[in-house]
Amino acid sequence: MDDGYPTPTSISQKATVALLVQPPISPSSASKIPQGILDNNLHLGYLGRHLLQGLPARYTSQDASQSWLLFWSLQSLSLLKVELDEGNKKRASDTILAMQNPAGAFGGGPGQAPHLLPTYAAICTMGIVGSPSTWSQINRPSLYQFFMSLKEPDGSFRVSQRGEVDVRGVYCLLAVAKLLGMMTRELVLGTREWVRSCQTYEGGFASATIGVGEQSAPLGEAHGGYTFCALAAWVLLESEFPSDKGSKSINLKSLRRWLVNMQGDEDELYGFRGRTNKLVDGCYSWWVGGCFKLLAELEERRGMSGKDAEEPIWNPEGLKQYILYAAQHPAGGLRDKPPKSPDMYHTLYCLAGLSVAQYAATASTTTSTSTTSSTSTSPTFRTIAQSAPSQTSNAPPSLNATDPLFNLTQTHAEAMMAYFKSGEVEAFQ
Amino acid sequence: MSSPTTSAPEPPRYADRPEWSDVIPVEQYENVNPLAPIFYKDIYKDAADYFRGIVKTGEKSQRVLDLTERIIRLNPAHYTAWQYRYETLLAIEADLEDELRLMDELAITYLKTYQVWHHRRLLMLKIRKPATELVFIAKTFREDAKNYHTWSYRQWLLAYFNDDSLWSGELDFVDELLNADIRNNSAWHHRFFTVFQSGVRDGEQDTERILRRELIYVKQSISLAPNNASAWNYLRGILDHNGIPYSKMIAFVQPYTLPNDDQKADLVDLDNPPPSKDAHLPCAAAVEFLADIYEAEGGDSMLKATELWKSLGNEHDVARKKYWEYRIREGLRAIQT
Ligand SMILES: [Zn+2]
Repeated sequence: MDDGYPTPTSISQKATVALLVQPPISPSSASKIPQGILDNNLHLGYLGRHLLQGLPARYTSQDASQSWLLFWSLQSLSLLKVELDEGNKKRASDTILAMQNPAGAFGGGPGQAPHLLPTYAAICTMGIVGSPSTWSQINRPSLYQFFMSLKEPDGSFRVSQRGEVDVRGVYCLLAVAKLLGMMTRELVLGTREWVRSCQTYEGGFASATIGVGEQSAPLGEAHGGYTFCALAAWVLLESEFPSDKGSKSINLKSLRRWLVNMQGDEDELYGFRGRTNKLVDGCYSWWVGGCFKLLAELEERRGMSGKDAEEPIWNPEGLKQYILYAAQHPAGGLRDKPPKSPDMYHTLYCLAGLSVAQYAATASTTTSTSTTSSTSTSPTFRTIAQSAPSQTSNAPPSLNATDPLFNLTQTHAEAMMAYFKSGEVEAFQ
Repeated sequence: MSSPTTSAPEPPRYADRPEWSDVIPVEQYENVNPLAPIFYKDIYKDAADYFRGIVKTGEKSQRVLDLTERIIRLNPAHYTAWQYRYETLLAIEADLEDELRLMDELAITYLKTYQVWHHRRLLMLKIRKPATELVFIAKTFREDAKNYHTWSYRQWLLAYFNDDSLWSGELDFVDELLNADIRNNSAWHHRFFTVFQSGVRDGEQDTERILRRELIYVKQSISLAPNNASAWNYLRGILDHNGIPYSKMIAFVQPYTLPNDDQKADLVDLDNPPPSKDAHLPCAAAVEFLADIYEAEGGDSMLKATELWKSLGNEHDVARKKYWEYRIREGLRAIQT
């Protein structure tokens, strides 16, 4: 809709829409993708290939994100209701532990400097493949000290020593603190207010905030990734230390409006964009789509939601279309948009978004229970539950649900939190 | 592998350079058979092994700058190499302006990397010459006018150094970018940042006049291309920020809620520019805006609001039907209690 007034934005928008309506080219035989079915086996093949055989040289750009590569692929498997065999679980923990720094935090690879982002990915990966025997190797006292050493007077955190300050780091720190039972008042003093000040006039959140004179101003425009991090950080803080009635909150009304406006129209197959007037992209299926559960949780806390709170305010059926038709790559893996190649990052965030859409679409009608049947499909992968093909129609979820705060299955997150709450763990302070 | 036009001769590996023979390279994984290993090219593995060797001994020297530059050019997201490079620059008291010139090239090549921009910020904290930086940034917008890192870096420069002379060119700068693309949301955000979130500067004390100027600007932008979410969000933003009720805009908004056939081509009202003749009407954002006005009025007007929400869900903005249904539920709940 360019109102007869084309600009670079509307021109690239038009070009993208043209690519979205073309059916995906299928080099392989009878593909499930043109039918809008999630091709579990195709994606399992893609993930297994990368995990076991390794990644081609173009992944050198991810050399400082090695714990992320593991998290993206292993959490994708969890969503697909599959887990590694014991031998490869051990290999995964060993790989992660090789990235642990004497400072207690994790680097992007062995010998790399400690950093909040790879630490989140490492801890989550340990949550997926670990057990108390490997969790006991996480050095909480040092990690807590490292966290405190990154703290700024305004309540924010640097991502690493001398690193940048942004809301991704704050989220990663809080998620890890929660999983490892290290959320203290000292740690999060001032953080609430800092996160709040990242909200922009559009309703979404920016990367960071800066003081200008007496005011503070968001650095950068409202953005899907930062909005997820800010909102999840906010919910983590609220659930640990509920705020008093009088204290300033984030603006839920403008946030809600901004979130629903990130969803594309029919000609964009209802995918999500990450900023106003930008193009749809599969990864925002999670970054934006994942926000609605968090928002609902906040509304519930404030007693704002009526009895029909289960009814989603966005279009989960629509989002399925984008992921199944446009984001699935015919050779396996998921992606930003056609004609791009798939990668591990987009594979996880598209699948996580699809999971959110599946559960949101059925929330008001059925409550789903997954049946656990540990059938062995290969020596490497074990199916942990029966999976049915997914359709864009109102079918029961074929994927596992994912916890909106961590992007872990609830079983994994809860087991880890329970372990670190138990008396047998050494104190961190 | 590479085409003849792009292939430059590969620089010699550190393992083959006698002047590096005193460094013991360190393998990445010892005693671990990693899952999802990356198959690096030789040249990267060589540099990374020597870098780990250097980090181990803690050497900070000129040759470390050479090594870290090689790693950064092969993988600009290697934050440890950046961090170590910065510490080395300080330790050997290198000329930071030279470093900045090197960064001019790297910033354009690796525009989307966090580290190039953060390193620049660290340099600027020492060099403290923000004015020339603004000129450089403007140049990078020719490559990508919506680059998030670049915009937040620009905003940081302005706010951190917070000097009137720095701010003075910003509005013209934004104008230029919005003239090139009125849908550039990054530029709209920057306008908001500059006008409303940077404190009050010389010549801007008359807030009434500023507000009036901004309202005219955004209305004219909407009139050129009415279905532009960025402009509507800016309008809402400045009204919210200044505590002005949306109802003050009713005369402006109403024509945009009507179909093209119902437009009255009468007097030219500068305060309320009409939709362009090629506009796609009714404009959903205007219908939403009008519904917000009715909702705020409450009472009987709430029913007018629900009618508009219904029309959005069924006709003008079907993709968001569930949201409009939610608005109707909430609206009705509000007048029942
Ligand atoms: Zn993406």
